[in-house]
Amino acid sequence: MSVFEVNNINVFYGRTQRLFGVDLPPLQSGDVLGLLGANAAGKSTLMRTLAGQQDFRGGTIRFAGQELQRHRARHWLAGVGFMPQTPPQESALRPFELLWSAARALGVTLSDQALTQRIEALLARLGLAERAMAPLYSLSGGKRQLVGLALALIRDPQLMLLDEPTSALDLHWRMVVLDLVQERVQAQQGIAIAALHDLDLAARYCTQLVMLEQGRVVAAGPVAEVLNPANIARVFKVEAQVEIGPMGYPRVQVLNAIRHPG
Amino acid sequence: MEASFRQLGWRRLVMLGGLLLALLASLLLDLQAGPADLSLGQILAALWDSEQLDLRHRIILFDVRLPDALIALAVGAALGLSGLETQTVLNNPLASPYTLGVSAFAAFGAGLAIVFMPTLPGIGHTLMLPLLALLFALLCGGLVLLFSRLTGGARESVVLFGMALFFLGTALTSALQYVGDTEAVDQIVFWTIGDLTKAGWPEVIAVSLCFALVLPFSLRHVWVLTLLRAGEAQAQSLGLDLNRIRLWVLLRVSVLCAFAVCFVGAIGFVGLIGPHIARILLGEDHRYLVPGAALCGALILSLASFLSKALLPGVIIPVGIITSLVGVPIFLALIVGQKRRV
Repeated sequence: MSVFEVNNINVFYGRTQRLFGVDLPPLQSGDVLGLLGANAAGKSTLMRTLAGQQDFRGGTIRFAGQELQRHRARHWLAGVGFMPQTPPQESALRPFELLWSAARALGVTLSDQALTQRIEALLARLGLAERAMAPLYSLSGGKRQLVGLALALIRDPQLMLLDEPTSALDLHWRMVVLDLVQERVQAQQGIAIAALHDLDLAARYCTQLVMLEQGRVVAAGPVAEVLNPANIARVFKVEAQVEIGPMGYPRVQVLNAIRHPG
Repeated sequence: MEASFRQLGWRRLVMLGGLLLALLASLLLDLQAGPADLSLGQILAALWDSEQLDLRHRIILFDVRLPDALIALAVGAALGLSGLETQTVLNNPLASPYTLGVSAFAAFGAGLAIVFMPTLPGIGHTLMLPLLALLFALLCGGLVLLFSRLTGGARESVVLFGMALFFLGTALTSALQYVGDTEAVDQIVFWTIGDLTKAGWPEVIAVSLCFALVLPFSLRHVWVLTLLRAGEAQAQSLGLDLNRIRLWVLLRVSVLCAFAVCFVGAIGFVGLIGPHIARILLGEDHRYLVPGAALCGALILSLASFLSKALLPGVIIPVGIITSLVGVPIFLALIVGQKRRV
């Protein structure tokens, strides 16, 4: 049974078309889809569209039998955890306060005690327990990114949309974040879609990959099919070898940049 | 985590209580200042039982000082609250009804009423002034809103646009002074500076009522307002309709600010600085910040009212001059400090 379907999505910014008939492979619960592509390939645009924040023409986006309609985006987002690329800004707000207020603003129906437990568990898992009551402006960019992830997960969503969730994180926290995403997807039969820059991490955590180039899908499917030297050369303009690493995941060895791409 | 969250809440409640006490103290200070020698003891006794004072002092206290002191509280609270909400929804620490031109437009509306004395059937001249002030304040609020929607809410440019409206309002008011007669010009000058001494009980009641009507809406919004402090992208990603929130907030802010200034004139900087002092004392949680900003606004204006009477013996300096003289350096400090955080 496929749970998340995205077919033939076209997006325009004014008159410029940004996404051209994008299809995603049908996703089953438990799937983690990695969106790969160079800068400005359309990853963030696609993410925002899937989150119901960007108008699209033609096509359908359907999750668990429900179809996304732009004017009911708020309703759509109630079941979706969307983590935008921008982390929470450097205000004097504290992570615990932020999560608490967000839950209450969104009408999360949890008792104070249950909400406290959920927030504490999230913050502890993301290594923010010590900084739960520290103003956001005192946190590093990476820590704020983790707060942003906690915020996206506050409603315990079935569908997670993560726009470069690990871009400001060091190796340790990248692994922790993607472990958490994988765990949640498996535990609650959910689905995650993450725009990623790190090919090795994508190969390790994703079940499906989609490569975008200038608003078009150039490759889509299981990791082993998509992650090959030809696709990598086309999308990232680098010469690379793909081998199976000691842990059994594909590993990308970048050899050199292609001097005169295209 | 939760223990310290709760503890912080208590600390902030205590702080709010402290602000309330400071406000009461400042109210008494304000009541006691002035040429007629009324002691604090006499005032307290008279507030308990008005028969304690002779007629002359009773009139001074109940018809002059008390309405002046109370309108300072009501207007200050209204400006503090509207300043806070403007800063939060536009996500800019330099935003306030004054810096966005709402007060300047209200002053222009009042000036129109003063110079041309228009009347509408059923509405006398005395009501036309606040009505026109209100109308122009709403117009300015609407323009700010329209601009923020057209530009996608770019935080810096909204404030620059507001500055432009401020200049426009000021220029239009100057033009009115050019065509008005001497008496009208005097009144307009009073209006553009801001002065508490012309208000009486009806004005006190009108501003207080407006504040009391708007406050529940702000309190209902406290969770959303707090969430907005994480930034626009975050609020939007959770499904908040920013345009709708801005519309509602700027609408009620314009009404509140228009009511606040339409009787006492365009008092500057209270709405800008009150919220910042509240933020320093209370943090960003709007459950405490909304009442806190109102309290701080009231406290500032009450202290300014006291100073306006106490600085030069026998002379009452228009309170708007005091708030501006104190406000400008703080405004500059905010601009410098803004680079470091939001």
